[in-house]
Amino acid sequence: MLLSGKRSIRQKLLLVVTATTLAALFTSGIAMLYYDFRTSQQAWIRDLTTQADILGRASAPALSFDDPKTARDSLQVLQARPEITAAAIYTAKGRLFASYAAPGLADARLPRLPENDGYEIDRRELQVFKRIIDEREILGTVYLRASHHLLDRTRDYCVILGMVTIIGLLMALALSYRLNAGVAGPIVAMSGVARRVMESRDFSLRVTKTTEDEIGTLADAFNGMLSEIGRRAEILEESNRKLGAEIAERRGAEEALRLSERRNRSLVDASSAVVWSTDGRGRFVEEVPSWSDYTGQARDQYQGLGWRRAFAPEDQSTVEAVWTRALAHPGAFGLELRLWHETTQRHRHVSVRGVPLVGADGTAGEWIGTITDIDDQRRAEQELRELNTELESRVASRTAELEAANKELESFSYSVSHDLRSPLRAVAGFARLLWEDHAAQLDEEAQRKLGFVQSEAQRMGVLIDDLLAFSRLGRQAMQLGPLDMQEMARRVYDRLLAQHAGPPVQFNLGTLPSVQGDRVLMEQVWANFLSNAIKFSAKREHPVIEVGAVSDENEHIYFVRDNGAGFDPRYTAKLFGVFQRLHDAEDFAGTGVGLALVGRIVNRHGGRVWAEGKLDHGATFYFTLPKESADGSD
Amino acid sequence: MEVIETIEILLVEDNPLDAELTMRGLKSGQVAGKVTWLKDGQQALDYLFRAGAHTGRPGGEPRLILLDLKMPRVDGIEVLRAIKADESTRRIPVVIMTSSQEESDVVKSYDLGVNSYLVKPIAFDALTEVARQAGVYWLGMNRSAPR
Repeated sequence: MLLSGKRSIRQKLLLVVTATTLAALFTSGIAMLYYDFRTSQQAWIRDLTTQADILGRASAPALSFDDPKTARDSLQVLQARPEITAAAIYTAKGRLFASYAAPGLADARLPRLPENDGYEIDRRELQVFKRIIDEREILGTVYLRASHHLLDRTRDYCVILGMVTIIGLLMALALSYRLNAGVAGPIVAMSGVARRVMESRDFSLRVTKTTEDEIGTLADAFNGMLSEIGRRAEILEESNRKLGAEIAERRGAEEALRLSERRNRSLVDASSAVVWSTDGRGRFVEEVPSWSDYTGQARDQYQGLGWRRAFAPEDQSTVEAVWTRALAHPGAFGLELRLWHETTQRHRHVSVRGVPLVGADGTAGEWIGTITDIDDQRRAEQELRELNTELESRVASRTAELEAANKELESFSYSVSHDLRSPLRAVAGFARLLWEDHAAQLDEEAQRKLGFVQSEAQRMGVLIDDLLAFSRLGRQAMQLGPLDMQEMARRVYDRLLAQHAGPPVQFNLGTLPSVQGDRVLMEQVWANFLSNAIKFSAKREHPVIEVGAVSDENEHIYFVRDNGAGFDPRYTAKLFGVFQRLHDAEDFAGTGVGLALVGRIVNRHGGRVWAEGKLDHGATFYFTLPKESADGSD
Repeated sequence: MEVIETIEILLVEDNPLDAELTMRGLKSGQVAGKVTWLKDGQQALDYLFRAGAHTGRPGGEPRLILLDLKMPRVDGIEVLRAIKADESTRRIPVVIMTSSQEESDVVKSYDLGVNSYLVKPIAFDALTEVARQAGVYWLGMNRSAPR
C-alpha cells in the first residue's frame, strides 16, 4: 500500500500531492485527446464528404453526357489537396467512369465497385462514397480516399501531454515541499516529542506551538495530554508504590497468618485438649478427630447431638440445662463435667469451654470450644483434700494427745507437788519432833545424823519446788507489759541484798533500756542472775557486781558481771541445763535449776542467754531481749 | 463464858501425819481453842451441816476451818464451795492449807471466797509457824462475823 503506516507523514503528503496532480493531469489530458481526436476525425469526414459532394455535382453533367474527359479534368482539381491520395467516379451502373491518383502514387487501389453512401476509416486512411443525385435520379458515385494523419497528431498530442504532466508534477512537488514545512513540520515535531517521551518516559517534555490552526490545537491537546499523562503516571506510580508496600505487607501478614495457623494446628495436635465446633444448634457437623480420640466415639456416633452420650449419665441434665441456656442466650460458658475417656475406660473430669460465633442478627451461627482433661488435677486436689483432712485429723489427734500429755504432766506435777511433798514434810516434821521430844535420849552422834535427815529433806523440798516452778513455766501464759528494767534490777538487787550476809558489795548499775515482758518472770531472771552474782562473789574480799546493757538495731543485750568464783569455760554448755551444777553444794548452795529456768524465760521472750567466765576470775551472764516484743510462745 | 467454849478450829486433813504436825504447830503456837480433826471432805460436810455421823451434833459453828485440798471422796474445793454457798457457814473463815501450788487450785479457791491460801512448807518450823499465824490471825485479830 502506498499509504501504509510505515511512511512518514511528509512522504505521505508528497505522495498525495503527486498522485492527485498526476490523476488530474492524466484525466484532463485523456479527455482533451479524445475530444481532439473525435473533432478532427469529424472534420475530416465532413471535409471529404463535402469534397465528394462538390465533385459529384461538378461531374453530374459529364455523367449525363457521358463525357469522361470533363470528369477526369474536374478530378484533377484534387491535386490542390495532397492528403487525398485517390479518387474515382462510378456510373449508376457501377462502371468506373473516371479516376484520379495523387502524383507519385503508382497504384491508386480503387475499389472495383462503388458502395453505398458512407465512410470507412482505418488507422491510416479515410474512404468516402457519395452518390451523385440529380433530379432524384442516381447518376453515379464519387469515391475519395485520403490519409488522415490522425495517429501522428495523437502522438504529438501525447508527447505534449506527457511534458505538461512532468512539469506540473515537478511544480506540485516543489509547492508541496514548501507547504510541508507548514503542515507536516509541527506534526513531525510533535511526533519527535512523542517518541522521546516514549523512550525516556519523561512526561515533562512539551511540544512548541507554532501555529494557531488545528495543528496548534493538536499541540495544545498533546501538551495537555502529556501533563495529564504525567500526572496520571505519577499517581499511578505512587499508587503502584503503595500497592507494592501493601502487597509486601499483605504477604507478611499472610506469612504470619500461615505461621500462626500452623502453630495453632500444632498446638491443637500437641495438646491433649479436644477442640470442637458445632453449628448454631449445638450439633457436631464437621469431623472432630480429637473428640474421637478422647471418647472413642465414631463419627456417626457423635454426629448431630450424639456427642452428649459421651458425658456421664449423672451429668446429662447439666449438659441439657447449660446448652439450653447457652442456645437461648448465646454467650461464652465454661463448666466441669465428666466425659468418657476411651483409653482409661472411665469417666474423667474435664473442663468444657465454649464461645458462640455470633452473627449480625445476634444468633449464634456456630460454636467453638475446648475440652481440657483436668482429671489428674481434680484427683490431685481430691488427694490433697484428703491428705489435708487426714493431716488435720492427725494434727487434731496429736493436739489431743499433746493436751492429754499436758494434762498428764499437770496431774503428774500436782502429784509430785502434793504426794512427794507430803512424805517429805512428814520426814522433816517428825525428825524435828524426834529432836524436840526425845533429844535427851539421843547422843550427839544420833543428833548429828538426825540433823542431816532434816536438812536433806529440806533441800529435797526446795528441789521439788524449783522443778515444779520450771515445769509450770512452760504452761503459764505470759502477761506482757512495759518493763523498766533498770528499776526492776535495782529493786530485786535490794531485796536480795537484804537477805544476804557477807562482805559489802560494790554494785554498779548502768543504764538499762526498757522492754516488753512478763513482770513476774523477768523479776525471776534478775533474781537468778543477781543472786548468783552475789552468791558466787561472796567469798571475795571486795565483791563487785556490774549490770549494764548494749543495744543493736534488733535487740537489747543485758549483762550481769561479777568478780566471783567464775566457772570452767569447758562447761559453759552445761550452765543452762536443768540440775547442772558446776560447783560443789558445800561451797555454793543451789539446786541447779535456776539458770535453766532463766534460759527458758528468756527464750519465751524471744531472746538468748549465754555466759562467759574463767575459773576464779568471775563470770558474765548475758541475755538478750528483742526490741519488738515476742508473742510469748515457747 | 459460852463464847470461849465455842472457839473451835476445824482441821480437815486426810494425812494423819500432816494433821499431827499441824495440830502440834497450833499447840506450840499457843492458839487457844479446841481443834477438831476430820479426815476427809465428807466428814467435814457432815460435821458442818449436822448430817451422817454428826446428825444432831451439839455446839455451834467452828471459828476457823483449816482445809486440805486433795482428799479422798470429797475434796477440799467441794467442801469450800459448800461452806461458801450456805448461809449458815459462809462467814466462817476458811484457810486452805495444801501441798499444791497449782495455779488452778489457787485461782479456784479464791474464786470460791477462801480467806487465805497457804502452801504447807516442808520445814517443820515453817509449818508450825504457818499454822500458828493462821490461828492467831483468824481467831485473835479478826472479829467473828455477827451471826
